[in-house]
Amino acid sequence: MSALLCRVSRLRLQPSVRLSSFIYSLKFDLTHVPSRKTLLVNRKCFSSYKIAIVGSGPAGCYSAKYLKSSLDKQQHRAQIDVIERLPTPFGLVRYGVAPDHPEVKNVQNDFAALFEGTDESMETVNVRFLGNVKVGWDVTVTELRSIYDVVLLAYGCESDRRLILPGSHLPQILSAREFVAWYNGHPDFVHVGEQVSKALQVTAADTVESVRNAHVVVIGHGNVALDCARILAKGGQNLHDTDIASHTFPVIGGGISRISVIGRRGPIQGAFTIKEIRELVRLQREGYGTSFRVSPQELKAGMNESSLQEMEGLAGRPKQRICDLLQKAAASASETSECEKRVDLRFFLKPLRFETKEDDPSRLSAVICEKTALRGEPGRQKAIGTGEYESLYADLVLVSIGYKGTALRGVEPFFDEEIGIVRNRNGKVDHSNDFECGLYVAGWLKRGPSGIIGTNIPDAKDTVASIMQDLQVTKPRVQRAGDIDSILAERKIQVVVWEDYKRLDDYEQTHKRSDNQPREKVVSIKLQLEAALKFY
Amino acid sequence: MHRSLQRGVLVASRRSRRALGGVRWHGGPKVPNDAPTITVTFLQPDKTRKEVQARVGESLLQTAHRNEIDLEGACEGVCACSTCHLIMPQDLYDILPDPSEDEEDMLDMAFGLTDTSRLGCQVIVTKDMEGTEFKMPAATRNFYVDGHKPKPH
Repeated sequence: MSALLCRVSRLRLQPSVRLSSFIYSLKFDLTHVPSRKTLLVNRKCFSSYKIAIVGSGPAGCYSAKYLKSSLDKQQHRAQIDVIERLPTPFGLVRYGVAPDHPEVKNVQNDFAALFEGTDESMETVNVRFLGNVKVGWDVTVTELRSIYDVVLLAYGCESDRRLILPGSHLPQILSAREFVAWYNGHPDFVHVGEQVSKALQVTAADTVESVRNAHVVVIGHGNVALDCARILAKGGQNLHDTDIASHTFPVIGGGISRISVIGRRGPIQGAFTIKEIRELVRLQREGYGTSFRVSPQELKAGMNESSLQEMEGLAGRPKQRICDLLQKAAASASETSECEKRVDLRFFLKPLRFETKEDDPSRLSAVICEKTALRGEPGRQKAIGTGEYESLYADLVLVSIGYKGTALRGVEPFFDEEIGIVRNRNGKVDHSNDFECGLYVAGWLKRGPSGIIGTNIPDAKDTVASIMQDLQVTKPRVQRAGDIDSILAERKIQVVVWEDYKRLDDYEQTHKRSDNQPREKVVSIKLQLEAALKFY
Repeated sequence: MHRSLQRGVLVASRRSRRALGGVRWHGGPKVPNDAPTITVTFLQPDKTRKEVQARVGESLLQTAHRNEIDLEGACEGVCACSTCHLIMPQDLYDILPDPSEDEEDMLDMAFGLTDTSRLGCQVIVTKDMEGTEFKMPAATRNFYVDGHKPKPH
């Protein structure tokens, strides 16, 4: 009983609502206390828009931010529910950004401010975090559209572009997305560690400091590929003071001895940005015992006529600077000594098949590539095979050729299966009268998996502009099929609200392996829920 | 805030400041409230102009946030993103100290980059900026068309 009283007293409710919800709560069996969210009642604002945003990553949070400010400016009352599958918010900011890029994660504070709120009764627009709610399972998109005025899909890309080649089924070939999720402690990818460990043939003799004598080939020329290479090169111990998941230490140890990053086209076509290249170039000078190599011949091949044109003007400035950096790195290679570990950035290599060991067909031995050359107009160059081949020894392959979106149930009619995005016009997906609820999209699910966190700013503004335009002619609906809190309570879903997440956040920041790390991530959903929903 | 109270010390942590309704922490110089000020103007994306007081010694990002100008600063002013991108007038751009390599790297990713672009968090207000107009880039790029095709490889 006292636990229940404590629970009720901690709720931020209007006094009249607090009493009625306390009485309401007594109807329940006290040994099975319902989700706290059943006791938190939406303010009874009959002229209030109800908006659901599916996904709490940068797309969802920037959308919530700009929707809130637009609605505030026009003095509309609204409730914005940001619904997240995991108990933790912020999507790839938490599970994608590399552990050695902590300042990039500062944006979390901006997003957190949305959910903190001040005095709810003063807010015309209230933003709530509803974590541990799986849209598509716990509640469907169709159901959301029957209870909200606006549903905005911002759940990003949870799958991969596939590289289907002979041998690509081998267990030593992994998706880079899964590898990144693993080293960032994503609860759904803890199993990846064992796969990596087996591929690298880590034994009991390998310590958390020793370098793994293995070859890793990363296929792809984006920042995800470079992040993988850099984390593999640095190894676990050098990242001890970051929020990298502890389970990486026995696997990647002191780093991997040989890492090759390969791609079909040249340096100017690479999707990576200069900061990530510079970090690889600087690894040796910064004491990570890793040399960086790039081939002068491959750089020269990358300077064909069309590529030179791609480097022209202000739009070509980023490419020009990358080329200058790589030329310098190639030129100074002879001055830098060889280290125990090495990263090779390779160009003009197109993987054809994966070869297995002669004595063990279940083990990868090499990636067979065809050398390519560029053909085509600037901006549209293709990599054409030259008939020359190269075999790259490999124990582990990470395929990093792009994330890909998937369709939740109810979204299939609007989904482009080939590209993996939801078809839209300025973020507007469907506004048919069947639902009385507009469907919108923002982020990678809208434009494809490219760009950085900041790219979601103009993206979200674009979608919000579409929503606001539609809301000018739409009043909050009178008929709703229910409300999200009741539906989730009926289904016994353990919703993680913002205060619950703060408890988990606090736990991660106070149970650290090192004073200098920002947090020690809890890597199981069960333990996250325990830390979040625990009552002191 | 919870943890800092447990320690019996009011730590000026990011979270406690927010809970107290304070301004979020930003990277950038700590400039006293009574620092001398100059008048500058921000030309906003909707083409309206807002004239504000900038404190000498603070960064332009801090100026913008103090005056509720809608300039994002995702990384909180530590030169790890490009969201505080501002366009300088040519004559000011020419006399400003050169951007660092890190700032140039971030500018490469800025939306609507120009020849006189700088990061707001890296430009420090000086007295001779009196009367300057800083332009905020407009978000005009149209990403999203039905049947979007990815770039060919």
